[in-house]
Amino acid sequence: MKRVVFAAVVALAGLAACAGILGLRRSTPESFPHRSHVVAGVSCTRCHPTMEAAGSALHLPDDATCTSCHTKPHDTRSCAGCHVSTLVVAELVEARAHLKFDHRRHSSATQGNCMRCHDGVATGASRVRPPMATCFRCHADKRDARACDSCHRDLAEEGTLPESHLAHDGDWIREHGTRAASSGDLCQSCHQESFCASCHGKTVPALPAATRFADPNRQSIHRAGFAARHALEARSDPGACTTCHAPDRCAACHTAKGIAGEGRGSPHPAGWVGIDNRHGREARRDPAACASCHGGAGEQLCASCHSVGGIGGNPHPPGWTSRQPLSAMPCRMCHPLGAR
Amino acid sequence: MRALVVLALVIAIRVATADPLRLRGDALASTASPAGLLVLETDAAVRADLSAEAVVWLAGSRTPGEDTTGDVLVIAVRARALADRADVRFGRFVSTLGALQPAHVDGGATRVRLPRRFEVELVAGIPVMPGLATARSWDWIAGGRLARRIADAGSVGIAYAQRRDDGQLAREELGADAGFALGKRHDLGTRVAYDLANPGLAEVALTASYRRGAVRTELYGIHRAASHLLPATSLFSVIGDVPSRRAGTVVTWRAAPRLDVIGDAGLRVVDSDVGAELVARARLRLDDRGSSVVTGELRRSGVGADMWSGIRGVARIALPASLAFTSELELVIPDDDRRGGVWPWGLGAVTYDDGTWLAALAIEASASAEYRHRVDVLGQLGRRWGR
Repeated sequence: MKRVVFAAVVALAGLAACAGILGLRRSTPESFPHRSHVVAGVSCTRCHPTMEAAGSALHLPDDATCTSCHTKPHDTRSCAGCHVSTLVVAELVEARAHLKFDHRRHSSATQGNCMRCHDGVATGASRVRPPMATCFRCHADKRDARACDSCHRDLAEEGTLPESHLAHDGDWIREHGTRAASSGDLCQSCHQESFCASCHGKTVPALPAATRFADPNRQSIHRAGFAARHALEARSDPGACTTCHAPDRCAACHTAKGIAGEGRGSPHPAGWVGIDNRHGREARRDPAACASCHGGAGEQLCASCHSVGGIGGNPHPPGWTSRQPLSAMPCRMCHPLGAR
Repeated sequence: MRALVVLALVIAIRVATADPLRLRGDALASTASPAGLLVLETDAAVRADLSAEAVVWLAGSRTPGEDTTGDVLVIAVRARALADRADVRFGRFVSTLGALQPAHVDGGATRVRLPRRFEVELVAGIPVMPGLATARSWDWIAGGRLARRIADAGSVGIAYAQRRDDGQLAREELGADAGFALGKRHDLGTRVAYDLANPGLAEVALTASYRRGAVRTELYGIHRAASHLLPATSLFSVIGDVPSRRAGTVVTWRAAPRLDVIGDAGLRVVDSDVGAELVARARLRLDDRGSSVVTGELRRSGVGADMWSGIRGVARIALPASLAFTSELELVIPDDDRRGGVWPWGLGAVTYDDGTWLAALAIEASASAEYRHRVDVLGQLGRRWGR
């Protein structure tokens, strides 16, 4: 029996700990019951009288404001300590720090009707700060012009991520290119030139995975043991490397590390060129891999067999066409004097 | 070369004298090559409609006889005009035109919002070559994109770009892109790039997501033909038209306020080889701010004989006094064990970041087909100024 009780206590303690770790058990108070105050006919400025004042105040009511109606407080501690969610306060502090906003300038436009923007308060929503969509009801022109700095002081510094659309969830490294294709200007709202260039630039000294090595939660290509598995990944996704790297990048790195180049044997297996013709199949599958070593002057190696009249035959796949004239490179390497 | 780097630094520092400005310097050192790296980045908003940024770096190698190298990653000025209806960039930057491949250029770009929700982007410049290799002539890239916004839901666009290397056609692409946010829950994005030099589809990508409550589900598909991604001046751009394809679904579930669970199930097809792409990842924040995070990941990836399985664990534990401990472990098991049965990789780091100073010291250890065992020490010291 004692063992059962002990096990039950341990299990309960474990569940409680898990609930705390997972964030299921909130240590912060629930949101303020705005709705019941609205229903009771209490005007907004009755509790938030400083709305019309300038400055960086959070406009939160103090204990004296509360006790002007609630004349018999049930506790000696500050009202806000239990009745105001710390998350809401944190949100307000963040807004004050990052947004250019002045209630005074809006009160005339809304004719003093706070619900025009804070409509969630009346329905009992936990958030006090209106969503950005509310701002766009009147400021659609700023949204269309991507003029984020009309309201946001510094989005990059603010570190706000999109919550719904363009959410940077899942495999964002794969997804971001497709999203950015039609929303590139939206990306620029937060990301500077250097952010794109840190991966897509041709003069990148080291990828973010290397320069931010102590931040493993930062999404980055080539993270962790990529050096060991890069050959597997490259062969599984032909052309992916070419998205950022020049085709000769492989050869440059392998030569620098002494893996390839003069004095090194052929990396190709037996039967690469010959009856098995493995090289043809592999070349069609991932021509960028061939170009990584045999690009430039090395192309002559291919043309020595695959030129018109050569023993290598036609390397073009069925139905292949080109708008290049035969006199242009690389056609003229194999089609001397315009031979077809 | 060095003179240009110095010039870039001087310009960057001159820009940095404007107010408000941000300046960041990072020095990285590693026992692996490159042995040292100095990165200086700055950005400044001279006025609300005029800003500039620059990133320059210098690297030194431990290999005897190798010179110190350096380059400019970005040095660009951006201005807005016509009541935010137009913006102009010039300098060195990454140009993106809808569905077309991004290009790192020295040049200029503009975007103008026209009446009736139309938008025009134009880019022209010289493709960037590492090491400031400017000896080649007649290298240029030019292109444009015309887009139209569809109500508040999204936009569609078409783009065209041509690139010449030494006067010869290296790339000519036509692209189409579309992105829609349908209601509060649905997202759709697609892009198609068509190679005009050697006619054929270069790349097609599609992503569609649906969000309901704590679950976001994404369907994706990618078709990519490597031969069309190579410059048309390469002989290898004319020998193959075998696309690689990948399709699957990613489910992101916020299982608890601090726990995210991500599952990715997909297929890869390359020529006649088929492979599975399976990822299961869980990320647990140990506090509301996410200062301490533990992540675990299982992965099965690759095609044919290049399949591999992996397990990865990451922990970042915030310590008092702006310190943090970070560890990252990865174990890769390739199906083909001729080059080693297990490739372990691990990193342990201690960081200090008080918002102004950043210091990190790490030890990285690994074993792979290339190295039986390898240990490197990495260090970073950074300083931020402004804002």
